[in-house]
Amino acid sequence: MSHDDHDSKHFSAERIFVFLFVFTMLEVGWGLAGKHFHWNRVSLWGGLLFFAFLKGWLIAIYFMHLKFEGWVVKSLILPTPFLIMVIFGYVMPDVANKEGHLIHPIGSELDPVTGKVIEHMEQGWHPPHHEEAAAAH
Amino acid sequence: MSEAIATYDPAVDAAAHHHPIYDYDSGPPVERGKFAIWLFLATEVMFFSGLIGAYIVLRSGASSWPDPQERLAVDITAFNTFVLITSSWLMVKALFASKKGDRNGILFWLGLTILGGSLFVSIQVYEYIQLIHEGAVPHVDLFWSTFYIMTGFHGSHVVVGVIWLTVVWFKALAGRYTARNNLGVELAGLYWHFVDLVWVLLFTIVYLF
Repeated sequence: MSHDDHDSKHFSAERIFVFLFVFTMLEVGWGLAGKHFHWNRVSLWGGLLFFAFLKGWLIAIYFMHLKFEGWVVKSLILPTPFLIMVIFGYVMPDVANKEGHLIHPIGSELDPVTGKVIEHMEQGWHPPHHEEAAAAH
Repeated sequence: MSEAIATYDPAVDAAAHHHPIYDYDSGPPVERGKFAIWLFLATEVMFFSGLIGAYIVLRSGASSWPDPQERLAVDITAFNTFVLITSSWLMVKALFASKKGDRNGILFWLGLTILGGSLFVSIQVYEYIQLIHEGAVPHVDLFWSTFYIMTGFHGSHVVVGVIWLTVVWFKALAGRYTARNNLGVELAGLYWHFVDLVWVLLFTIVYLF
Protein backbone atom coordinates (compact mmCIF):
# COMPACT_ATOMS: atom_id res chain seq x y z
CA MET A 1 0.00 0.00 0.00
CA SER A 2 1.45 3.34 -1.02
CA HIS A 3 1.54 6.47 1.09
CA ASP A 4 -1.19 8.00 -1.08
CA ASP A 5 -3.38 4.95 -0.51
CA HIS A 6 -2.93 5.37 3.20
CA ASP A 7 -3.97 9.03 3.12
CA SER A 8 -7.14 8.21 1.18
CA LYS A 9 -8.03 5.49 3.71
CA HIS A 10 -7.39 7.53 6.81
CA PHE A 11 -9.96 7.66 9.58
CA SER A 12 -10.06 9.11 13.05
CA ALA A 13 -8.84 6.34 15.32
CA GLU A 14 -9.45 8.62 18.30
CA ARG A 15 -13.13 8.96 17.43
CA ILE A 16 -13.57 5.18 17.11
CA PHE A 17 -11.70 4.70 20.39
CA VAL A 18 -14.03 7.14 22.19
CA PHE A 19 -17.07 5.33 20.72
CA LEU A 20 -15.72 1.98 21.96
CA PHE A 21 -15.03 3.46 25.38
CA VAL A 22 -18.51 4.97 25.72
CA PHE A 23 -20.29 1.88 24.38
CA THR A 24 -18.40 -0.32 26.87
CA MET A 25 -19.50 1.91 29.75
CA LEU A 26 -23.08 1.86 28.49
CA GLU A 27 -22.94 -1.91 28.10
CA VAL A 28 -21.63 -2.50 31.63
CA GLY A 29 -24.24 -0.06 32.98
CA TRP A 30 -26.96 -1.85 31.01
CA GLY A 31 -25.86 -5.24 32.37
CA LEU A 32 -25.71 -4.07 35.99
CA ALA A 33 -28.99 -2.17 35.78
CA GLY A 34 -30.72 -5.10 34.10
CA LYS A 35 -29.69 -7.48 36.87
CA HIS A 36 -30.45 -4.97 39.61
CA PHE A 37 -33.93 -4.07 38.37
CA HIS A 38 -34.71 -7.62 37.15
CA TRP A 39 -35.35 -6.72 33.52
CA ASN A 40 -36.68 -9.50 31.36
CA ARG A 41 -34.13 -11.50 29.37
CA VAL A 42 -35.10 -10.09 25.99
CA SER A 43 -34.39 -6.52 27.12
CA LEU A 44 -31.23 -7.40 29.03
CA TRP A 45 -29.65 -9.74 26.49
CA GLY A 46 -30.90 -7.74 23.51
CA GLY A 47 -29.25 -4.57 24.79
CA LEU A 48 -26.02 -6.36 25.68
CA LEU A 49 -25.80 -8.05 22.29
CA PHE A 50 -26.55 -4.75 20.54
CA PHE A 51 -23.63 -3.02 22.28
CA ALA A 52 -21.30 -6.02 21.83
CA PHE A 53 -21.95 -6.36 18.11
CA LEU A 54 -21.78 -2.60 17.61
CA LYS A 55 -18.32 -2.55 19.19
CA GLY A 56 -17.24 -5.63 17.23
CA TRP A 57 -18.45 -4.01 14.02
CA LEU A 58 -16.47 -0.81 14.72
CA ILE A 59 -13.30 -2.80 15.44
CA ALA A 60 -13.67 -4.95 12.31
CA ILE A 61 -14.65 -2.13 9.95
CA TYR A 62 -12.20 0.55 11.09
CA PHE A 63 -9.40 -0.90 13.24
CA MET A 64 -9.08 -3.97 10.99
CA HIS A 65 -9.58 -1.83 7.85
CA LEU A 66 -12.28 -4.15 6.51
CA LYS A 67 -14.09 -1.12 5.11
CA PHE A 68 -11.09 -0.35 2.90
CA GLU A 69 -10.29 -3.90 1.76
CA GLY A 70 -11.12 -5.38 -1.63
CA TRP A 71 -13.40 -8.27 -2.52
CA VAL A 72 -10.79 -10.96 -1.83
CA VAL A 73 -10.42 -10.17 1.87
CA LYS A 74 -14.15 -9.56 2.30
CA SER A 75 -14.98 -12.86 0.63
CA LEU A 76 -12.71 -14.62 3.13
CA ILE A 77 -14.36 -13.25 6.25
CA LEU A 78 -17.97 -12.43 5.30
CA PRO A 79 -19.18 -16.06 4.98
CA THR A 80 -18.24 -16.79 8.59
CA PRO A 81 -21.34 -15.18 10.19
CA PHE A 82 -23.55 -17.33 7.95
CA LEU A 83 -21.58 -20.45 8.88
CA ILE A 84 -22.00 -19.53 12.53
CA MET A 85 -25.75 -19.25 12.01
CA VAL A 86 -25.70 -22.74 10.48
CA ILE A 87 -23.88 -24.12 13.55
CA PHE A 88 -26.34 -22.50 15.93
CA GLY A 89 -29.26 -23.58 13.78
CA TYR A 90 -28.14 -27.19 14.00
CA VAL A 91 -27.44 -27.31 17.71
CA MET A 92 -30.24 -25.18 19.10
CA PRO A 93 -32.97 -27.80 18.58
CA ASP A 94 -30.84 -30.13 20.68
CA VAL A 95 -30.42 -27.62 23.44
CA ALA A 96 -31.69 -29.31 25.89
CA ASN A 97 -32.82 -32.05 27.76
CA LYS A 98 -36.15 -30.35 27.34
CA GLU A 99 -37.73 -33.73 26.66
CA GLY A 100 -36.02 -35.46 29.55
CA HIS A 101 -33.71 -37.70 27.54
CA LEU A 102 -30.93 -37.34 30.10
CA ILE A 103 -31.05 -38.81 33.58
CA HIS A 104 -29.92 -35.52 35.09
CA PRO A 105 -30.03 -32.06 33.50
CA ILE A 106 -26.93 -30.50 31.94
CA GLY A 107 -24.82 -28.94 34.68
CA SER A 108 -25.73 -31.45 37.37
CA GLU A 109 -22.92 -32.20 39.78
CA LEU A 110 -22.13 -34.86 42.35
CA ASP A 111 -21.73 -33.66 45.92
CA PRO A 112 -18.58 -35.49 47.11
CA VAL A 113 -19.70 -35.26 50.77
CA THR A 114 -23.29 -36.46 50.61
CA GLY A 115 -23.02 -38.42 47.36
CA LYS A 116 -26.21 -36.78 46.12
CA VAL A 117 -26.68 -35.27 42.69
CA ILE A 118 -27.19 -31.51 42.73
CA GLU A 119 -29.28 -30.63 39.70
CA HIS A 120 -29.28 -26.89 40.23
CA MET A 121 -25.87 -25.23 40.10
CA GLU A 122 -27.06 -22.35 42.26
CA GLN A 123 -27.43 -24.84 45.12
CA GLY A 124 -23.81 -25.97 44.73
CA TRP A 125 -20.65 -23.92 44.91
CA HIS A 126 -20.77 -20.45 46.49
CA PRO A 127 -17.94 -17.94 46.99
CA PRO A 128 -16.56 -17.90 50.57
CA HIS A 129 -17.89 -14.40 51.32
CA HIS A 130 -21.38 -15.65 50.39
CA GLU A 131 -21.24 -18.35 53.08
CA GLU A 132 -19.83 -15.91 55.65
CA ALA A 133 -22.69 -13.51 54.96
CA ALA A 134 -25.20 -16.35 55.31
CA ALA A 135 -23.64 -17.41 58.63
CA ALA A 136 -23.75 -13.82 59.93
CA HIS A 137 -27.49 -13.76 59.30
CA MET B 1 19.06 -38.66 -6.47
CA SER B 2 19.22 -38.18 -10.20
CA GLU B 3 22.06 -36.30 -11.79
CA ALA B 4 19.70 -33.59 -13.04
CA ILE B 5 18.56 -32.79 -9.50
CA ALA B 6 22.05 -33.05 -8.03
CA THR B 7 23.46 -30.58 -10.50
CA TYR B 8 20.54 -28.15 -10.37
CA ASP B 9 21.65 -24.65 -9.49
CA PRO B 10 18.78 -22.12 -9.08
CA ALA B 11 21.06 -19.18 -9.73
CA VAL B 12 21.97 -20.58 -13.12
CA ASP B 13 18.93 -22.61 -14.11
CA ALA B 14 16.01 -20.49 -12.87
CA ALA B 15 16.34 -17.96 -15.61
CA ALA B 16 16.61 -20.70 -18.21
CA HIS B 17 13.94 -23.22 -19.11
CA HIS B 18 13.10 -24.53 -15.62
CA HIS B 19 11.24 -21.48 -14.32
CA PRO B 20 9.80 -19.13 -16.90
CA ILE B 21 9.58 -15.55 -15.68
CA TYR B 22 6.09 -14.11 -16.00
CA ASP B 23 5.44 -10.40 -16.34
CA TYR B 24 2.33 -10.65 -14.18
CA ASP B 25 1.52 -11.78 -10.64
CA SER B 26 -0.50 -14.99 -10.70
CA GLY B 27 -1.58 -14.57 -7.06
CA PRO B 28 -4.75 -12.95 -5.70
CA PRO B 29 -5.03 -9.14 -5.92
CA VAL B 30 -3.92 -8.71 -2.31
CA GLU B 31 -0.63 -9.25 -0.51
CA ARG B 32 -0.05 -12.93 0.23
CA GLY B 33 0.56 -12.24 3.91
CA LYS B 34 -2.71 -10.36 4.24
CA PHE B 35 -4.58 -13.11 2.38
CA ALA B 36 -3.08 -15.68 4.75
CA ILE B 37 -3.84 -13.76 7.95
CA TRP B 38 -7.47 -13.16 6.95
CA LEU B 39 -7.86 -16.83 6.08
CA PHE B 40 -6.37 -17.69 9.47
CA LEU B 41 -8.68 -15.22 11.21
CA ALA B 42 -11.67 -16.80 9.47
CA THR B 43 -10.71 -20.15 11.01
CA GLU B 44 -10.29 -18.42 14.36
CA VAL B 45 -13.79 -16.95 14.06
CA MET B 46 -15.14 -20.46 13.60
CA PHE B 47 -13.05 -21.75 16.51
CA PHE B 48 -14.38 -19.19 18.97
CA SER B 49 -17.88 -19.60 17.53
CA GLY B 50 -17.63 -23.27 18.43
CA LEU B 51 -16.68 -22.40 22.00
CA ILE B 52 -19.41 -19.78 22.35
CA GLY B 53 -21.93 -22.08 20.67
CA ALA B 54 -21.10 -24.88 23.10
CA TYR B 55 -21.48 -22.43 25.97
CA ILE B 56 -24.91 -21.31 24.75
CA VAL B 57 -26.07 -24.90 24.31
CA LEU B 58 -24.84 -25.95 27.75
CA ARG B 59 -26.24 -22.88 29.45
CA SER B 60 -29.60 -23.21 27.70
CA GLY B 61 -29.78 -26.88 28.58
CA ALA B 62 -28.90 -26.44 32.24
CA SER B 63 -31.81 -26.47 34.64
CA SER B 64 -30.36 -23.35 36.28
CA TRP B 65 -27.35 -21.12 35.77
CA PRO B 66 -25.65 -18.95 38.40
CA ASP B 67 -25.63 -15.19 37.97
CA PRO B 68 -22.13 -14.42 36.59
CA GLN B 69 -22.10 -11.07 38.40
CA GLU B 70 -22.32 -12.88 41.74
CA ARG B 71 -19.38 -15.15 40.94
CA LEU B 72 -17.09 -12.90 38.89
CA ALA B 73 -15.48 -9.51 39.49
CA VAL B 74 -17.20 -7.52 36.73
CA ASP B 75 -15.60 -4.21 37.78
CA ILE B 76 -12.04 -5.50 37.41
CA THR B 77 -12.83 -7.19 34.12
CA ALA B 78 -14.59 -4.08 32.79
CA PHE B 79 -11.37 -2.19 33.51
CA ASN B 80 -9.45 -4.95 31.73
CA THR B 81 -11.75 -4.53 28.74
CA PHE B 82 -10.84 -0.84 28.63
CA VAL B 83 -7.17 -1.84 28.74
CA LEU B 84 -7.54 -4.12 25.71
CA ILE B 85 -9.60 -1.60 23.74
CA THR B 86 -6.98 1.06 24.51
CA SER B 87 -4.19 -1.25 23.35
CA SER B 88 -6.12 -1.82 20.11
CA TRP B 89 -6.25 1.95 19.54
CA LEU B 90 -2.51 2.19 20.31
CA MET B 91 -1.93 -0.49 17.67
CA VAL B 92 -3.73 1.65 15.11
CA LYS B 93 -1.41 4.54 16.02
CA ALA B 94 1.59 2.24 15.53
CA LEU B 95 0.31 1.23 12.09
CA PHE B 96 -0.23 4.88 11.12
CA ALA B 97 3.34 5.60 12.22
CA SER B 98 4.65 2.69 10.16
CA LYS B 99 2.88 3.96 7.04
CA LYS B 100 4.64 7.29 7.51
CA GLY B 101 7.99 5.52 7.91
CA ASP B 102 8.23 6.90 11.45
CA ARG B 103 10.49 4.34 13.18
CA ASN B 104 10.39 6.06 16.55
CA GLY B 105 6.63 6.35 16.32
CA ILE B 106 6.33 2.59 15.70
CA LEU B 107 8.57 1.84 18.67
CA PHE B 108 6.63 4.20 20.94
CA TRP B 109 3.07 3.18 20.04
CA LEU B 110 3.88 -0.51 19.63
CA GLY B 111 5.70 -0.49 22.97
CA LEU B 112 2.59 0.92 24.65
CA THR B 113 0.46 -1.69 22.88
CA ILE B 114 2.68 -4.45 24.26
CA LEU B 115 2.42 -2.95 27.74
CA GLY B 116 -1.37 -2.87 27.42
CA GLY B 117 -1.48 -6.51 26.35
CA SER B 118 0.84 -7.51 29.18
CA LEU B 119 -1.32 -5.63 31.68
CA PHE B 120 -4.42 -7.42 30.39
CA VAL B 121 -2.79 -10.83 30.85
CA SER B 122 -1.50 -9.86 34.30
CA ILE B 123 -4.97 -8.82 35.46
CA GLN B 124 -6.46 -12.03 34.07
CA VAL B 125 -3.83 -14.11 35.91
CA TYR B 126 -4.63 -12.15 39.09
CA GLU B 127 -8.33 -12.90 38.59
CA TYR B 128 -7.57 -16.61 38.10
CA ILE B 129 -5.43 -16.71 41.27
CA GLN B 130 -8.20 -15.07 43.29
CA LEU B 131 -10.81 -17.48 41.97
CA ILE B 132 -8.66 -20.57 42.49
CA HIS B 133 -7.90 -19.36 46.01
CA GLU B 134 -11.68 -19.31 46.65
CA GLY B 135 -11.97 -22.85 45.34
CA ALA B 136 -13.44 -21.90 41.97
CA VAL B 137 -11.56 -24.42 39.83
CA PRO B 138 -12.69 -25.79 36.45
CA HIS B 139 -14.03 -29.13 37.71
CA VAL B 140 -16.31 -27.58 40.36
CA ASP B 141 -19.22 -27.15 37.97
CA LEU B 142 -20.17 -26.36 34.39
CA PHE B 143 -20.11 -22.61 34.96
CA TRP B 144 -16.45 -22.67 35.91
CA SER B 145 -15.35 -25.18 33.27
CA THR B 146 -16.89 -23.10 30.47
CA PHE B 147 -15.54 -19.90 32.04
CA TYR B 148 -11.95 -21.18 32.17
CA ILE B 149 -12.10 -22.75 28.71
CA MET B 150 -13.32 -19.59 26.98
CA THR B 151 -11.30 -17.01 28.87
CA GLY B 152 -8.27 -19.32 28.94
CA PHE B 153 -8.20 -19.82 25.19
CA HIS B 154 -8.65 -16.10 24.67
CA GLY B 155 -5.89 -15.35 27.19
CA SER B 156 -3.54 -17.70 25.36
CA HIS B 157 -4.30 -15.78 22.17
CA VAL B 158 -3.40 -12.54 23.95
CA VAL B 159 -0.09 -14.07 25.09
CA VAL B 160 0.68 -15.12 21.50
CA GLY B 161 -0.23 -11.61 20.36
CA VAL B 162 2.10 -9.99 22.90
CA ILE B 163 4.95 -12.27 21.74
CA TRP B 164 4.21 -11.47 18.09
CA LEU B 165 4.09 -7.71 18.76
CA THR B 166 7.36 -7.95 20.68
CA VAL B 167 9.03 -9.62 17.68
CA VAL B 168 7.67 -6.83 15.44
CA TRP B 169 8.96 -4.23 17.91
CA PHE B 170 12.49 -5.66 17.69
CA LYS B 171 12.27 -5.75 13.90
CA ALA B 172 11.22 -2.11 13.95
CA LEU B 173 14.16 -1.38 16.24
CA ALA B 174 16.42 -2.97 13.63
CA GLY B 175 14.90 -0.67 10.98
CA ARG B 176 13.16 -3.42 9.02
CA TYR B 177 10.01 -1.36 8.30
CA THR B 178 9.68 1.59 5.97
CA ALA B 179 6.81 3.67 4.61
CA ARG B 180 6.55 1.24 1.67
CA ASN B 181 7.35 -1.97 3.54
CA ASN B 182 5.26 -2.26 6.70
CA LEU B 183 3.17 -5.36 6.10
CA GLY B 184 4.65 -7.04 9.17
CA VAL B 185 3.19 -4.35 11.42
CA GLU B 186 -0.18 -4.52 9.66
CA LEU B 187 -0.48 -8.32 9.98
CA ALA B 188 0.38 -8.31 13.68
CA GLY B 189 -2.13 -5.47 14.10
CA LEU B 190 -4.91 -7.43 12.39
CA TYR B 191 -4.35 -10.33 14.77
CA TRP B 192 -4.31 -7.97 17.75
CA HIS B 193 -7.57 -6.27 16.76
CA PHE B 194 -9.16 -9.68 16.27
CA VAL B 195 -8.16 -10.67 19.82
CA ASP B 196 -9.76 -7.43 21.00
CA LEU B 197 -12.93 -8.11 19.01
CA VAL B 198 -13.27 -11.61 20.47
CA TRP B 199 -12.87 -10.25 23.99
CA VAL B 200 -15.64 -7.68 23.41
CA LEU B 201 -18.03 -10.57 22.71
CA LEU B 202 -16.68 -12.89 25.42
CA PHE B 203 -16.88 -10.19 28.07
CA THR B 204 -20.54 -9.65 27.24
CA ILE B 205 -21.47 -13.31 27.10
CA VAL B 206 -19.44 -14.61 30.05
CA TYR B 207 -19.56 -11.68 32.50
CA LEU B 208 -22.71 -9.70 31.78
CA PHE B 209 -25.29 -12.21 30.52
